[in-house]
Amino acid sequence: MEECFIENLRGVETVRSKRFEYLDQRPVNQDGYALDWPEVGFIAMNSPYDPTPSIKIENGVVVEMDGKTADEFDMLDAFIAKYAINLDFAEEAMAKDSLEIARMLVDINVNRAECLKYTTAVTPAKLVEIVGNLNVLEVMMGITKMRARLKPANQCHVTNVKDNMIQIAADAAEAAVRGFAEMETTVGIVRYAPFNALAIMLGANVGRPGILTQCAVEEATELDLGMRGYTAYAETVSVYGTEDVFMDGDDTPWSKAFLASCYASRGVKMRFTSGTGSEVQMGMAEGKSMLYLEARCLAVTRGAGVQGTQNGSVSCIGVPAAVPGGIRAVACENLIAAMLDLENASSNDQTFTHSDLRRVARSIPQFIPGTDYICSGYSATPNYDNMFAGSNWDADDYDDWVVIQRDLKVDAGLVPATEDEVVAARNKAARAIQAIFRELGLPEITDEEVEAGTYARGSQDMPDRDVVADLKAATEMLERGVTGLDFVKALYKAGFEDVAESIFNIQKAKVVGDYLHTASMLDDKFHVISAVNSPNCYEGPMTGYQISPELWEKLSNIRTAVDPSKIN
Amino acid sequence: MDQELLVRQIMQEVLKNMQGSAAAEEVTEKVTVADYPIGEKRPELIKSASGKSLDELTLEGVVNGTLEAKDFRITKDTLELQAEVAESAGRGFFAVNLRRAGELIPVPDARLLEIYNALRPYRSTKAELYAIGDELIDEYGAEVSGNFVKEAADIYEKRNRLKK
Repeated sequence: MEECFIENLRGVETVRSKRFEYLDQRPVNQDGYALDWPEVGFIAMNSPYDPTPSIKIENGVVVEMDGKTADEFDMLDAFIAKYAINLDFAEEAMAKDSLEIARMLVDINVNRAECLKYTTAVTPAKLVEIVGNLNVLEVMMGITKMRARLKPANQCHVTNVKDNMIQIAADAAEAAVRGFAEMETTVGIVRYAPFNALAIMLGANVGRPGILTQCAVEEATELDLGMRGYTAYAETVSVYGTEDVFMDGDDTPWSKAFLASCYASRGVKMRFTSGTGSEVQMGMAEGKSMLYLEARCLAVTRGAGVQGTQNGSVSCIGVPAAVPGGIRAVACENLIAAMLDLENASSNDQTFTHSDLRRVARSIPQFIPGTDYICSGYSATPNYDNMFAGSNWDADDYDDWVVIQRDLKVDAGLVPATEDEVVAARNKAARAIQAIFRELGLPEITDEEVEAGTYARGSQDMPDRDVVADLKAATEMLERGVTGLDFVKALYKAGFEDVAESIFNIQKAKVVGDYLHTASMLDDKFHVISAVNSPNCYEGPMTGYQISPELWEKLSNIRTAVDPSKIN
Repeated sequence: MDQELLVRQIMQEVLKNMQGSAAAEEVTEKVTVADYPIGEKRPELIKSASGKSLDELTLEGVVNGTLEAKDFRITKDTLELQAEVAESAGRGFFAVNLRRAGELIPVPDARLLEIYNALRPYRSTKAELYAIGDELIDEYGAEVSGNFVKEAADIYEKRNRLKK
């Protein structure tokens, strides 16, 4: 037996294969892996312990779902059964073979609306059974067709370890020039939140008017910032796939659904967040697969009447990535979100691997078909400044991203940018935040800081600030009741009329509410582009989203390309 | 409640009951996907919480101080229009959320945050949640949200998630 022979050879001597010795040093082998352990839920999808799909409806009420009778329902089951399934069509949809529905998802002759009829009328177990039939290429085809908005877009993180607001403004302005449609900040120190929220809103809209911004902090604080007009949307509204983890997250489906309505009542857009792996990471997966639990999260999201989700394992990506088929399961998560007609900000955020090859491969299922927001987000700073524990993609990868778009002829939301436009945008944002701080009576931002922000790569290039004075001023700003409208006034008075107008238009968008709708974004004239007026209409080759000739020229023209017409 | 808002809500209720009048027709005519974005295609349908039309919401107004935060708040009527658009786009569940939100508009920011926190696990007794439900219904006319809070109380009781 050949196998024994090899073993014997290795047993006698402890000589190491130089090949394996070298491979052991490779980045891919610095990552952690494990085999499936389905009994505790350490399995990506297709677990033998996932429930068999079922539904029983009596007098318009679900009395059995996925193998549980109503008296056995936990909080999530109860919520999903009451709010999340289109019961009018449920019996018919549940009776249809899952494989047949899976085939509909990849069939160009069955349109999105027809697929939605079935996928919005089934239970979580059925959803995972449907996608369990798809290979990863078919999942990508499914996303191509089922994505809510016609045009894909991208979102970035703008943070830094110093909570330096000049850098946040400058990085946001640069990111806007590079094409991001939406931006998210968070804090190192919680009390910096108002400044970070102000800086990202201002900077983003210097770079390109109409960018939506948010500040990820604790739920109640985040709502408060939205009410004050410091943010345009919210995303850090987490839901979980088991009741125990939900409780651990200090919420219930009811509290989260109420919170969703609170946002809309103030005209503020929001989406929920969930992802595979969070439950098993907390040791409370109830022996179910990661994808099944995520399907429950997505059902809760839909049942709460929320327009969209940030999902794709998000900050738990290390967990599905460790098990076989984990990255396929993450792509399935995104597909299920689209199958529930939800806006999908598809993660591709937290760092999970040492391998550059793996981090590209992880993003292929979203990058190629395109999602509503491919990353959520892409780090607009070097990784050392990313306060969401790093990102799979960061500012040092800007050129890689646009080159890969160009190589594959894919619009993944970014455009090439020149050094001149980036420096100009960063400088204007830094000057604008200097001016608004002066107008609002906040601690001084010096010319030296403006200069540093203009040319910085990251916070290591930024002078330190008086943190105590900043935090005191940030708290006072909230106590004084400074609102988004005060930002508008201050910017106008300081001579930044155009930026003032952009912030004004964002406040105005909240009166109208058009941007509350599924998969919305604003263009540079503040026109809403969403799944309502720009729905995905993919039905095979040469349908759906097409890169325009103008955009293709832009995507082609990277700064390092040789122009043959200019060679003598 | 904001007096102006109250008056407008009463007016709307009154007009709704005037069958056949032009005003009533305006209220009952449903908008659809074709009217979206409403801000561009049907701007005349939108008023801010203070009764300002979209035309009146100007940068100049903000800068010279004639407009303030309440002029930039969305109304129940606007959320109803958006709910109709959502329904016409096949998004009934989203429409439910928008209507629940419409009811919550008159609840002050601070109170809304308190109610959200009260709905978190182990924060409230059943009686406390029922009282909030009644408050939402009686003080703010938030029928759906009030009953939603009471439903939460029942489920929390069943699942042992009430304040101990």
